[in-house]
Amino acid sequence: MNHPFLQALETIYPPDRLLTRDVELLPYESDGLTAFQSKPGAVVLPIDEAEIIATVRLCHEHTVPFLARGSGTSLSGGSLPIPDGLVIALNRLNRIKRIDPQQRIAVVEPGVINLHITEAAQPYNLYYAPDPSSQSICTIGGNIAFNSGGAHCLKYGMTSNHVLGMKVVLADGAVTQFGSESIEGVGIGPDLIGLFVGSEGLFGIALEITLRLMPQPELYRTVLAAYNDLGAAGDAVSLVVASGLLPGAIEIMDRLAIKAAEASVKAGYPDAEALLIVELEGEALQVEAEFAQLQDLIQTSGAFEMRVARSEEERARIWKGRKGAFSAVGRLSPDFIVQDGVVPRGRLGEALMAIDKLKTKYGLDVANVFHAGDGNLHPLILYDGREAGALERAEALAGEILALCVSLGGSITGEHGIGMEKRDYLPTMFSEEEIDIMQALRRAIDPNEIANRGKMFPGGDAPALKQQGLHPLERQGVISRE
Amino acid sequence: MTPTAIATSAELSDFLRENERVHVQGNGSKTALHSANGAALADLKALSGVLEYEPSEYTITIGAGTPVSHVSAALAEKGQYLPFDPLLADRATIGGTVAANLSGSRRFRYGGIRDFILGARVVDGLGRAFRVGGKVVKNAAGFDLSKFLVGSLGQYAIMTELTFKVFPDAPRFRSLRLDYPTLPDLLAAISFINQSVFELDALDFAPAAKGWSLMARLAGSSATLPPRIERFSQTLRRESAPSDIVELDETATLWDPLAELTGGTVVKVVLPPRQIPEFDRSLGETRRRYSIGGNLAWLATADLAALHTSLRQMGLPGLCLLGAVESAPIGAPLENELAARVKSVLDPLAKLV
Repeated sequence: MNHPFLQALETIYPPDRLLTRDVELLPYESDGLTAFQSKPGAVVLPIDEAEIIATVRLCHEHTVPFLARGSGTSLSGGSLPIPDGLVIALNRLNRIKRIDPQQRIAVVEPGVINLHITEAAQPYNLYYAPDPSSQSICTIGGNIAFNSGGAHCLKYGMTSNHVLGMKVVLADGAVTQFGSESIEGVGIGPDLIGLFVGSEGLFGIALEITLRLMPQPELYRTVLAAYNDLGAAGDAVSLVVASGLLPGAIEIMDRLAIKAAEASVKAGYPDAEALLIVELEGEALQVEAEFAQLQDLIQTSGAFEMRVARSEEERARIWKGRKGAFSAVGRLSPDFIVQDGVVPRGRLGEALMAIDKLKTKYGLDVANVFHAGDGNLHPLILYDGREAGALERAEALAGEILALCVSLGGSITGEHGIGMEKRDYLPTMFSEEEIDIMQALRRAIDPNEIANRGKMFPGGDAPALKQQGLHPLERQGVISRE
Repeated sequence: MTPTAIATSAELSDFLRENERVHVQGNGSKTALHSANGAALADLKALSGVLEYEPSEYTITIGAGTPVSHVSAALAEKGQYLPFDPLLADRATIGGTVAANLSGSRRFRYGGIRDFILGARVVDGLGRAFRVGGKVVKNAAGFDLSKFLVGSLGQYAIMTELTFKVFPDAPRFRSLRLDYPTLPDLLAAISFINQSVFELDALDFAPAAKGWSLMARLAGSSATLPPRIERFSQTLRRESAPSDIVELDETATLWDPLAELTGGTVVKVVLPPRQIPEFDRSLGETRRRYSIGGNLAWLATADLAALHTSLRQMGLPGLCLLGAVESAPIGAPLENELAARVKSVLDPLAKLV
């Protein structure tokens, strides 16, 4: 990292918030996609938006690439540092500035942890809806960059659908704001929130975010159904959808994922080829009536066992196994890659059968955990990084799964983003002209291409080295992958 | 100027290449948005029809010139609906609805257009035809330009085809009117509802002959609606002391927020609920209806200049929809640095007006 740039940083940051020694940089070298790592030139720890703005302007002036980082839980390598670039770590901007229960909004800084917003809103019977599996550690800034989802997206959408207003610093240092405290958000004029959310950190940094809060549902009703084959579980999803019910979540786990969850959190799941979790939520009278209908449907769907959560504890146990399934897979295999493809719901069965064939072809195990309600697959490809060529085979298998999703009319990513991991697959979804237009848009906002350089678009430098094993935080069970 | 009928995306590309300034319309239902002084006029009504509809996927793809009523009818056949509840549903096209970002009262339950648009085919100011977003209910690949186009008023790129997420609709509805002596009484009732367990399909209010009327709608099955409406009614009677509660007939215009806004320019105002008291005081006798729980106001004003000034003072943006006006956006200015950057890419020659 060049000297004048570092000197300029020293005018903004005291020594304890400007990290340059190898040992200090180490924790920032990778994110939730553990197969990659790279070393930044420096890390800064701003404590307010003025420092962020000054830092971005400095990066622009010196053409130094930067990465805005929250907790580094990205599963697509989206928060992988740019080699010798700057990491702007936002964890200290963690203030919830305001909870306004009358307007049902929260105004927060980017480093606030997702779950902390729900905790702050709880006294008013409100909550923040998007619930990525890493919600106890991931930050809103990261959720915004990647339009994070979760198990409960079917009904109320992803992060983008819950952002009403933002103040941002663009990659060239311009500061702008858009949206409002109305649930209409931007409402008049182009929906800039929709454009900024999910831009993977390529446009700039969110400084202040106004979020929509939702009323806590009066009642949840959760059912767990066990099947002798994965196809039957998939058919049950179609039955539920065709019935006119609109569940808050519809999830499926296959045998290997169940085994992992059992080994890890002992959720007490039945021994089955596939488990289906369906959850209804809302006003008690309505939910009770719908739940009766749901149970009838599942009875006819060929489930050999059905369990109904009778208490909040039982509901929590059902979800604990599901939400912990990914890190649990770490017990079965030294390494794994998580995929995030989407297929039309009606082609889930086809997709799962094709993945099964690919397993045999590559001689690797794949566990499946997925948001069946919106066709969002999360195949976990297990491999042993110590074995020569295993990572390459796993990556090749992952690539075939992505191509499969696109060929079935879906997407290469439902909620993890393109990041570093899938940038070479962007052309499978968009034409050269479409990618050119996106690139031109990026350059109109970031002429030096410094904001999260090397992500989303194909080509570019390959900064990544290979590494084995879980993320250190994952090993401690602090974060998990969804 | 006589509009040129456009039947394909390629024709639109040619039209954009051949003309210096271009204005687009569907059915022209939002009269205030079509004062395109001197620009060549493209009529997109022929880009019509349901192109793909998979009820089991909760997705529908339609031509931008398709009348909203056709889309709604196709969905209703399968028990589904557009949860953002398009406004002017009897005359608007779906493309115009998205470009102007006009959701109706039922948007209260699940969200607005931006929450249900999944992707689009567009032609930009340079005549380039391309795709934005995707066709599945969940997709995080690439920049989400489809959401950006919601409310973009035809000034960045023209949508020729749209894909939406749709939901199953409720079989039954029931609506109540709750009367309150003053606006603060009514706002206190909304505040209570906002933190309650009730999931309303719509929540609007307006001044009445005496005091204020809150209109609330519940959606659900015929078995559960009676006890739910009873419970809602009793709870609100206890918690908010309305002077009266009356059940309303579910007529065709009951939940059309513009139905009674005749005479004067019809304007949409985006409004944080906390600004309602100040905003309402500024309106005088202006006819109005507040929608989606008081996050949006629809007005019919006889004095647009005065409204513009007071909106600007309060920092609120407004959009004229019906009437003859010089400029449709009023109040707080829309100019934005990020939007300007997008314009420089999609319409660098500033053809789209």
